[in-house]
Order: sequence, then C-alpha cells, then structure tokens
Amino acid sequence: MKRRQGWLFFIIFLLTLSVYLLINYPLQLGLDLQGGSQLTLQIIKEEGNVTRDELEAVNSVIDKRVNNLGVSESNLQTLGGDQLILELPGEQNPLVASRVLGKTALLEFRTQKEGTSTDLKILQLQRLNIKELIEQFSFAEKSQNDDNFLKVIQDDLKDLEQELNYISTSNDLYGKLIEIKKYVDKEITNLFIKTDLSGKDLINAGRRQEQTNSNWEVLLTFSNSGGEKFSEITKSIAGTNQLLAIILDGESISEASVGSQFVSTGITGGSATISGNFSAEDARELEVQLKGGSLPLPIEIVETNTIGALLGSKNILKSLYAAISGLIFVGIFMIFNYRILGFVSVLSLVLYGFFNLALYSLIPVTLTLPGISGLILSIGMAVDANILIFERIREELYDGNTLTRSIDSGFQRANSSIVDGHITTLLSCFVLFLLGTNFVKGFAATLGIGVLISLFTSLNCSKTILRFFTTYQSLRQKNLYLPRNNFSN
Amino acid sequence: MKYNLEIIKNKKKIISFSTVLILFSLLGILYSTFNTSYKKPINLGMDFVGGNELRIERVCEAECSNVSTDTVLENLREISTKKNVLNNIKLQFQNNNKLISIRTPYLSIEDSNNLITNLNNIIGPLNYESKDSRLIGPKLGKRLLTNCVTSLLVSLFAISLYITIRFDKKYALFALLALFHDLFIVFGIFSWLGIILSVEVNSLFAVSLLTIAGYSVNDTVVIFDRIRENLKSNKEGYNKTIQLSVNESFRRTTFTSITTLIPLLSIILFGSYTLFWFSLALSLGIIIGSYSSILLAPSLLLKD
Repeated sequence: MKRRQGWLFFIIFLLTLSVYLLINYPLQLGLDLQGGSQLTLQIIKEEGNVTRDELEAVNSVIDKRVNNLGVSESNLQTLGGDQLILELPGEQNPLVASRVLGKTALLEFRTQKEGTSTDLKILQLQRLNIKELIEQFSFAEKSQNDDNFLKVIQDDLKDLEQELNYISTSNDLYGKLIEIKKYVDKEITNLFIKTDLSGKDLINAGRRQEQTNSNWEVLLTFSNSGGEKFSEITKSIAGTNQLLAIILDGESISEASVGSQFVSTGITGGSATISGNFSAEDARELEVQLKGGSLPLPIEIVETNTIGALLGSKNILKSLYAAISGLIFVGIFMIFNYRILGFVSVLSLVLYGFFNLALYSLIPVTLTLPGISGLILSIGMAVDANILIFERIREELYDGNTLTRSIDSGFQRANSSIVDGHITTLLSCFVLFLLGTNFVKGFAATLGIGVLISLFTSLNCSKTILRFFTTYQSLRQKNLYLPRNNFSN
Repeated sequence: MKYNLEIIKNKKKIISFSTVLILFSLLGILYSTFNTSYKKPINLGMDFVGGNELRIERVCEAECSNVSTDTVLENLREISTKKNVLNNIKLQFQNNNKLISIRTPYLSIEDSNNLITNLNNIIGPLNYESKDSRLIGPKLGKRLLTNCVTSLLVSLFAISLYITIRFDKKYALFALLALFHDLFIVFGIFSWLGIILSVEVNSLFAVSLLTIAGYSVNDTVVIFDRIRENLKSNKEGYNKTIQLSVNESFRRTTFTSITTLIPLLSIILFGSYTLFWFSLALSLGIIIGSYSSILLAPSLLLKD
C-alpha cells in the first residue's frame, strides 16, 4: 500500500508540474491555428543529390535575406535534405518574400569586348523595344478591347524576331515576349568578358534615391580586395569606349563607361552604385539579395500556404469543441458501462490530457490541425487500454474473485495485449514522422506522444487511483463495479 | 457469457460478405482507372498533382446576395492576364453564397494575389482574414505522392515484420490478410467517392490509411492473443475455443471502436473542414477494422 501512495504523490506532483508548465510556457500554435504563410523552397540541382554543405550554404543565404527583409518572428528550417520551409506568422504578404528569396542573385562585373560598340548599341535599342512591348502587352491585357492592340504587338514582335534572326518557340504571346527578352539579355551579356570581381567581394549594399529624378539606385561597398579588383578593372577600360557591365543572374542591369580621369588609378574608394531605373521596391529587393549574397544553387518556391488570422482562430475554436465534446461523450460512455471504473478512466483521461499538453510545451511540439486530430484520436487509444483492463477485472469479478485480487490480475493479464497494440501504432507514427511532410509530422508526433503517455496513464495512473478509491470501505461494493441489470446470471 | 456470435456456423456468410466488399472496391478502382477523366485508381487531390486552392469569405451585411458563378467567371476572364488558367478554373459558392472556393492549375504567388484582387473587385468586399490559400507546384506534388506511397509501404512492411516475429506464421498471415482487406476497402470506397462526388484524396488520406493499419492490427492482435491464451487450456476443441475467444473479446473490441469513433464523430461534426474527409476515412477504417478483427480474421483461423 505504501508504494501505491508514493505513486499517488508522484502523479499529483506531475499534474502540478504540468499545470505550471502550461501556464508559464504557452503552447506554440501552427500557422493553420494562428494565421500566416508558409513557403516551401526546393533547392534545384541538375545532377546528384544536394549535399549537407550545400543545404547549409543555401540555408544561411536565405536566412540572411529573410532577416534583412525585416519580417518579424519568421521561422526557417530545413526539410528532407533539399527543401527549406519558411514560416511567416500573421498577416504578412508572402509575395515580397517570394520575390526576394526566389532569385539566385548572382552578381558579376564584366568588361566589354573590344570592337563591339555598334553591336551593343543595336542590342540596347532592341532591349528597349522588347521592354516596351512587354509593358504594352500588360496594358492591353487589362483593357477591354484588346484584340487590335494585341495584333500590333504581335507584328512588332515579328519584326524584332527578324532583326534578331531568332524565332521564339513559346505558345502564348506573353511567353514569346519573355523569351525574346531573355535572348536579347543573353546576347548583351555575351559581348562582355568575365572578370574576377563578383558579388562575393561585397561587404555591404544599400540604396538611396537619385538626386536628379525619383528613381532609386543601389550602393555597393566592396571588401578591401574587392575594392582593389574594382580599381584594376576600371583602370583597364578607363578612357576607352569599352563599357563596364553589372550583371545580375545573367541579365545586364547597368552598362557604364569609365571616364579618362581614372586612367592612372582606376576608380578607388571601394564602392560603386548601380542606377538602373529602380523603383523603391526593386532597389530594396536588390539590396536584400546582395546583402545576403548569391545562392550557391538556384531555388524554386514549390508550395505556399496562407491562412487568415480569423480562420486560424476559428480553427482553434472548432478543434476545442471537437476535443471537449469527444472527451465528454467518451466519459459518459465509460461511466455508463463501467461505473466506478469508468470514473477512474475519466480521471486518468484528464491526467492524460494535461500530461500531453505539458509535454507539447516542453519539447516543444507546434500544435497544428492534424496535430490536434492526432491528440483527439489518441483519446480513443488511451481509453482502449482501460477497456482491456476493465473487461478483465469484470471477468475476474464474475468468477467470484475478491475486488483487490480482480483488480490486480486484471491489470496484469491485460498488459501484453496493450503493449502489442501500442507498438503497432507507434510503428506507423515513427514511419510517418520520418517520411512525412511537415503537415503529417504534426499528426505523427501528437499521436505517438499520446500513445506513449497513455501507457503510463492507463496502466499506472488508473491503477493508483483505483487503489486509492478502494481504500474506502463504501467504495468497495462489487455492484459499483458491475452494472446492476446486466450479467446477473 | 452473454454474447454468442456463431462464427463457426456463419463462416461462409462472413467470407462471402468480405468477398463482395472487396469486389465492390475493386470495381470502383477499375472504373476510376479506366473510365474517369483523371485515369487514376483514386481521385488524386492537389497535394499530389499541384494546383491552387483558395477559400475566402465575403463580407455581407445580412445575407450574401446570390451571384451566378458564370457572371463571376466572365468578369474574371475580362480583367485577368492568365487566360489559359481561367479556362480550367472551378468556382463554387458555399454557405449561403458567403464562402467562395476556387481551384485552378498552379499559379505563382503573384498571379494568385491578382486573382484575389480581381475577385474582390467583382464580388467584394472580401474578408482577407478568412483566407485559406494553398499553392502547390506540380514537382512537389509528385514528390509528396512518392513520399506517401513509400511511407505506406515501409510501415506496412514494418508491421508485417513485427507480426511475423510476434506470432506464428498462420496467425501472422491472417492478421495481415485482415489488414489488407480493411485498407483495400477504405481505398475502394474513396475511389467510389471520387467517381460519384469528386472527392479528392490528399496526404491526410495516406495518413488515415497508415493509422487504420496500426489500429486494425491492434484489434486483431488482441483477439488472437485471447485465442492463444484460451487454446493453452484447450477445453472445448479448436473451433469452439476460437468462437469462445471471439465472444469474450467482443465487448472490448466494440467498446474500443466506439470510444475511438466518438472523438472522430465530434471532429466530423465540429472540427475544421480540413479534417472532414480525414476523419471520415478513419471512421470507415475503424468500423471495417472491427468487423474484420471480430468476424473475418477468426473465421479464417477456423478448421473445416
């Protein structure tokens, strides 16, 4: 008896601890419960698997970009070796994040090949043309009577294709326009020779509004060695008609000449500006990308989930209703069928609920909708163990055994079935947790934790509570354990 | 005891019933594979094929006015730049015209935002706080599908291994047979639901199958444990002992199913729509699982 009392105090201690934990460390809610956006970024590698180092390199670049974007309480984690998950809680628009994160942001400085001035001039003109066509296209698409307008654009595009001697292969007009623009960008880039200066030589980036007009420009600050490289490069082309191009992800965003006053030393001071007709947003995005450095591997945003805050709070409420009504009805069912034993199982269910939630805040487990369904489902499993035991106890009682003896052997004989059953469920949870997506992991985690805790509550807690009850003479009558009308034979 | 299920007498009926269920499921799977637009054994949802799903509520003063979906689509087509996407759009009003739900092929975040803005202009104002938007690229979809199928196979293998080690061959075989019987029928029912009601299965469906697997084996194991225990003291002969064990475990198995069904039912009734089909699949699995553990698996153990 002494040992059981020890357990009773231990259980009360655990309950107090759980309540303390829940008050001081509130549960972490997933995005489907508090509202927010979640982006899944897929690292793209043509050949072979993404290595650990590459994953970490991409992770750190993305992390820097997210921090520089200034989104609050964001959470970035890796998933399955070649994916990253970014969570933006609250009403933050994932659009800006997706634009900034999706680009590789590979910055290059290139010098023009000698004797290509005329070619470049033609291409620059063509680039202007195609940009205008794209603008016209988006305007035409928005207006109502667009058929004539579209035809004009189509004809202009054909002329341009002839000039370029390149026929686009895309199906729709917009695709064709983008394809031609890419082609022109590539042709321009090809007129320039790579130098050893790149985005890696930057130590900072900034932005400011140009004084002459309302456009923005982006400021680059080089490291010491970068500054030296920059002055070398500018020195080599100073005073010639060769231009210096700043190229971002294969697209030249600025071509500029270096004045003859720099012939002797090149441009020193370790900084440069890019002024390419940026809007305020463009400049900010470029700044964030350059500050974070370029991605070692390109990424693609493969999944975006957005849940409004109102919907999130509705989901919490709905889950709460479901959980509470589930508990109440299971409780009624148990008490109706097992009387005092049923009451014991209700008490251990309540303990079970507290222990589960406390463990979630301790580990911590982020609570999501599938997670809650795992928890609610594990109520059923927790009761299952009790049912197995109680059925045995009833049998023992029918066989005419004493109450204490029946309880003891009931718990003992149900043991192996309970453990077997729990192991198969745990196996499923384990596999789900290893292989599942984030969404599925939440379910596997709560169900798995639930199954483990239910071993403790249904075996140990209910036994202790039952023992405690049976110390009172008035609670030891057999008919309190068996429904009166049934099984009178 | 009180319960007296005559499984010895009804062995043939039980086996025929299960055969009918399996044929019914097989028919659904075959029909779905060959006679539907998607040509898959089951109607794969957005998680597996990629796409864009949007649910958003309108702000209405008293009742939301009745708007025909055709008008909305027509207006959308006029102001949108992605014509080919709009040809494949599915738009529905639910909840007394309050809730708009939309499915399109995969869109970029930008396009999806534009779609919402356009929608706001046509039938707004919309309550952005009630938005539920999911965009899944086709690449990720394929990957999720492989992931789910692998999880299922691996965990079925792990469960089979455990059962084979834990029981002798005959018990293991029949427990697994009952397990596959349960999974196959749930799968078949969802094939039919896909054909008739266009219900789609997502990754949560795979999760429900896995959970059913754990549950179904659990139920069968408890009964087989009982049979083994009773056979040790073999008083009434093999078949009689099996029948006795089934009747002894009957209360436990039905009670457990009921206490698991109650919380699931409350999720179906009160929970979020995200969990509706998931809970339904689990409920079906538990009902079929109990049937196969109580009646089918022990019947298979009976000797002629």
